[in-house]
Amino acid sequence: MKEKLIEFKNVSFAYEADGEAVPETKDALKGVNLDIYKGEFLAVLGHNGSGKSTLAKLCNAIYEPTEGTVSVKGIIPDTEEKADEVRRIVGMVFQNPDNQIVATIVEDDVAFGPENLGIEPKEIRKRVDEALKSVNMYELRHREPHKLSGGQKQRVAIAGVIAMQTDCIVLDEPTAMLDPKGRDEVMQTIQRLNKELGITIVLITHFMDEAVQADRVAVMNSGRIVMQGSPREVFAQNEKLNECGLDLPQSTELCKRLGIKDTVLNASECVEKIISMLGGAV
Amino acid sequence: MSYVIEAKGLSHCYSKGTNQQVYAVKDIDFSVEKGELIGIIGHTGSGKSTLISHFNGLLKPSSGQILVNGTDIWKDKETLHNSRFQVGLCFQYPEYQLFEETVFRDIAFGPKNMKLSENEIKERVLRAADYAGVKKEHLDKSPFDLSGGEKRRAAIAGVMAMEPEVIIFDEPAAGLDPKGRKDLIKLIRDYRERTGSAIIIVSHSMEDMASLADRIYVMNGGEIAMQGTVDEVYSQGEKLRSMGLNVPEITEIFASLRAKGIDVPANVYTVEQGTEILKKLMGRCSS
Amino acid sequence: MIGEITFGQYYPGSSVLHRADPRIKLITSFWLIVVIFVCKNFFSLGIIALTAIITSLVSRVPMKMILKSLKPIVIILIFTAILNIFYTQGGATYWEWWKIKVTEKGVNTAIFTMIRIISLVVISSILTYTTTPTALTDGLERVLSPLKVFKIKVHTLAMMMTLALRFIPTLIREIERIMNAQKARGADLETGGILQRAKALVPIFIPLMVSSFRRAYELALAMTCRCYTGGEGRTRMKQMKVSFRDIVLILYCTAATAGIIILNIFFEAVI
Repeated sequence: MKEKLIEFKNVSFAYEADGEAVPETKDALKGVNLDIYKGEFLAVLGHNGSGKSTLAKLCNAIYEPTEGTVSVKGIIPDTEEKADEVRRIVGMVFQNPDNQIVATIVEDDVAFGPENLGIEPKEIRKRVDEALKSVNMYELRHREPHKLSGGQKQRVAIAGVIAMQTDCIVLDEPTAMLDPKGRDEVMQTIQRLNKELGITIVLITHFMDEAVQADRVAVMNSGRIVMQGSPREVFAQNEKLNECGLDLPQSTELCKRLGIKDTVLNASECVEKIISMLGGAV
Repeated sequence: MSYVIEAKGLSHCYSKGTNQQVYAVKDIDFSVEKGELIGIIGHTGSGKSTLISHFNGLLKPSSGQILVNGTDIWKDKETLHNSRFQVGLCFQYPEYQLFEETVFRDIAFGPKNMKLSENEIKERVLRAADYAGVKKEHLDKSPFDLSGGEKRRAAIAGVMAMEPEVIIFDEPAAGLDPKGRKDLIKLIRDYRERTGSAIIIVSHSMEDMASLADRIYVMNGGEIAMQGTVDEVYSQGEKLRSMGLNVPEITEIFASLRAKGIDVPANVYTVEQGTEILKKLMGRCSS
Repeated sequence: MIGEITFGQYYPGSSVLHRADPRIKLITSFWLIVVIFVCKNFFSLGIIALTAIITSLVSRVPMKMILKSLKPIVIILIFTAILNIFYTQGGATYWEWWKIKVTEKGVNTAIFTMIRIISLVVISSILTYTTTPTALTDGLERVLSPLKVFKIKVHTLAMMMTLALRFIPTLIREIERIMNAQKARGADLETGGILQRAKALVPIFIPLMVSSFRRAYELALAMTCRCYTGGEGRTRMKQMKVSFRDIVLILYCTAATAGIIILNIFFEAVI
């Protein structure tokens, strides 16, 4: 049996307008049940406002559920201490790369998390170097963050979480503000962390080609999880996805329209199917 | 002279005269005809943004000329000021420029700067709001109370209200989800149909551009690396990839099919096109 | 491009001074600046001037850069010199016309003050040329940490400085972007009277505030996620260690100070 890392039990979240000025919109959640297993790569899909970002922020105790519980390794973060404990297990990377880098030098920023945890200086140095190497940013460790590209900044942010040695990284639309090159860099990094270091990944996104790379996909719509399963299982239901304001990848869509029964996930699968369909008759 | 915008031998360099002289754009020849829809693609740092900032005089060329309707915009101060109203520039994430108390007043900012009459301003605001899909009941709200997508529409309306002859959109769909993206592309398409205005779209999404653009310029390293119709540009997949750009997945699928000896055209950019072609082919095979 | 600027005036290098402990650099710079005001005659002042010159040579920062740091104070220098010449009276009279009298004491004071100010600026700019803003902030936090006893939140102050350094380039770029966006809508920022210009800044100021608040909020979230709870229980990756070169630096300052005190005693005070 796979080990549960994060468990959402009947979680609802309602945004209370208590006059507090918060420069963001919080989307509601309604009765969400979701298990996130150790070592998996889960993609949470949904259009803007579907509640996917709220789900992310519940994972490491930034928000508190109005109903139900979110537990991380069995810890329910109902006190500040426990919330801190949860944040040592689940790290977070946000959308805007500019607004999460704290220090004026790349390596100092990566050290920020471990420093907060009160780790020995020598150990921090080791972790920082390793983290920077694992995101391919070691050569640029002395740079100033504002001189980096978006993709590079995002990798620095990821390194900052890795250096804290969390079990899980939640990435809230990490590629939404990047160009195609930056997106590729970040996606490759995420893949590598999951496969090589065994870090649990929760990727919040609305890009279907990113979700294809995950082990498991959960689709959200108006605060609920409406579909769950492997990318192949989920992408088979194109009408339902369209209802959720999402698109199929072009190769999947093409095969669907051609009446090919199996769901394909990438271009090479698609080419193969088409060729076998034409029966080599051409 | 039917060019709305024409750039002749345009260069812009930073730190001119020092040994660190860097060309952001170099020797650009560029033109937009009345009513044309032009795509500019290129990766980040290829000089796209520098180039478009010249079109309404935000940047002054180090050498070369920018002509708007045949007149050099740097001729005198007035021409320069007027170029801002002839060439509308809608930046990336335009919602971050909203500042007025109501959406109406924010959209009216451009027309007010044009020193139009109250009535004319009101008419233009309502018209632009309609083009950009800003709901009537939102006009009296604070722009900061709108959702992300609504804010962007309001900001776009602010540029449309100047009723320029050409609008430049820099990454108009950045950060939007698939549905938001589709809606926005439809908005631009409808606007063009209704007003006949010329449009320039700057993007790195080759997918959206395929179905929209009449002509495409590809920028790389501050220079124009390729130009032509969608067919002419997209058929050179290798060259595009070498510049950090990706052709649409569907185009790649068709390229691989051709490589496997299947007789399909190379200029397929949308799933609809692809489906039709393959269905015909299958029909032929089975009969 | 404006976004590419390096903030502060750090001049990259690997001289002894570049590698010295920032805490020691802060302390010795402050020390020398105090000593400047201890000088009483031209001989002791000569030592300070010499110290400034030697230090700048050792820093390997080009003379051109050091002279550049003096540029903003040229007016102040001329102004104080003129004031001193005409207002300090005493000793032999060199030149006289109507009510204006230039005396020995006036000239001496003028020259003295000029050398003092120049040395002060040179010494403090060598500090900023050889130390990155980050190292400076870090050093300051550690040097001032004894002030914790007086309930002064040294860590918080240092954190604020670091964040300011980190976000200044980002905000400059943001201002540039907003200005361009409003100019593209025909905003006129260059002409008109003061009132008109102030009014023209509203379309820039408001979006800037809105986005800064958003940034601050997101940054606070990101810091919370990275377990930041203030200075308590925090460790630092980069440890500062006093090494041989730092001891040399201290000895060097001690020698200069000793020389100045001795010369102060043996020669008559000019000022």
